[in-house]
Amino acid sequence: MSDQPASPVPSAPQPVMSTPRRLDIEITARCNLRCRYCYFFDNPAVPYRDLDTATWLRFFDELGACQVMDVCISGGEPFLRPDLPELLAGIVRNRMRFNLVSNGALIDDAKAAAVAATRRCNYVQISVDGSCADTHDVCRGPGSFAGALRGIRTLQRHGIPVAARVTIHRHNVRDLPAVARLLLDELEVPAFSTNAASELGSFARHADQIAMTVADRELAMRSLVELKERYGGRITANAGPLADAEYWARMETARRQGAPAFSDGGRLSACGCVFEKIAVRADGAIVPCSMLAHLELGRIGRDRLAEVWRSAPELVRLRARQAIPLQRFAGCRDCAYAPYCTGNCPGLAYSLTGEIDRPSPDACLRLFLEAGGAIDGRAARISPGAEVAE
Amino acid sequence: MKLGDRPLANPDVVLREEYDDWAVLFDPETANAVGINPVGVFIWRLLDGRNSVEQIAARVADGFDEVPGSAPEEVRAFVERLAAGGFVGFAATGATP
Ligand code: SF4
Ligand code: SF4
Repeated sequence: MSDQPASPVPSAPQPVMSTPRRLDIEITARCNLRCRYCYFFDNPAVPYRDLDTATWLRFFDELGACQVMDVCISGGEPFLRPDLPELLAGIVRNRMRFNLVSNGALIDDAKAAAVAATRRCNYVQISVDGSCADTHDVCRGPGSFAGALRGIRTLQRHGIPVAARVTIHRHNVRDLPAVARLLLDELEVPAFSTNAASELGSFARHADQIAMTVADRELAMRSLVELKERYGGRITANAGPLADAEYWARMETARRQGAPAFSDGGRLSACGCVFEKIAVRADGAIVPCSMLAHLELGRIGRDRLAEVWRSAPELVRLRARQAIPLQRFAGCRDCAYAPYCTGNCPGLAYSLTGEIDRPSPDACLRLFLEAGGAIDGRAARISPGAEVAE
Repeated sequence: MKLGDRPLANPDVVLREEYDDWAVLFDPETANAVGINPVGVFIWRLLDGRNSVEQIAARVADGFDEVPGSAPEEVRAFVERLAAGGFVGFAATGATP
């Protein structure tokens, strides 16, 4: 009758839960902005249309029956939906908690009060890419920095936990210390996460203006590692320069020490999401995640979520991807990092190579080094489980 | 808490069955979550405000193999921990028919 805190998803080979624990829901395909690296728009496989309130509410009832714990409501821009309070009430009625992902600009007192009144909001995540309008608005459009800050302050006034997300690109890579000061010291946001503008959605149309060079990536890694030394767990990353810096430092340390293979190394194990959560597009298509938005597994209102979760062939295949050895791929076969490498994000693998069952070149340490990049041993000190490189 | 107390599951709490009869108790009000094993799930289903801790321990002894003599105390401690986390309350005395 153990009552230990709920454990994270166990390491591979992973059993599959009877239903997903969490869902990512793109509640609307509309947005007040058109960010130049938006992962959501400009995906030719996605029909950008919204579902009505009743359809979502019926789906939330199904989620309640599936004992789903948390939903992440994104878009598009979720605060564009006039029925948002009604939708949140449906989430609460079904005994779930939620977080919202927003650009912040549309959050006024009335909307913030409606979110606060639910008492089930984990946090609202606001995108902040710069310490000033110059670096933020360059990719998100004029006025968007002011909107984001206004949104954060409004949420804070209503006692709603705020998280920030910093997407790193060529134009803000030198601004990161100032971004950290703004968010963590001045606005007193508890923490922010980082990622990189990456090869999805609208990015391709603007890659020449946005994509980071190898030198930019090095700078971003160095800068974030230094900032993390100063601010500790208040800066996090699941992908992008900080995640790369930390994981690559572990890989490099292990390689130098001739350490045994990591338990999840040497195979395409990078993404555990398919064992824990699933996503729904604004048009009702059930997909493995927003990064694999083309991969329709079913449709809400037509297919039962539990059934899709357990047996949609594409999802079963994605889970089995974890067993695919890196030795199968020419570039990895003689790579000294292979025993420590997890093959990286399948969504980016698909976007960059057209295939899911491949390592993603985006977070390939070998390619980064071959392109002239260098990694920073200090990341090993802040990366759990790693020895100091050198 | 005494062995004669009759614990009552918080109706807002979700019992989420995950793998092989293991489960998570999740309180959406507080976001507290705990993992419980199949015996814990069995006990949880008996927390209806009518069964005393002593009766629950007897049902555990009937329902599972090799239950140690310390079971009533263990059940009591388990329920107490759930109560401390807000997952469980207690039926008012005299509430059972
Ligand atoms: S990145 Fe977010 S805020 Fe920007 S256009 Fe896409 S959905 Fe809208
Ligand atoms: S070549 Fe890249 S993806 Fe392949 S094992 Fe080496 S570091 Fe990993």
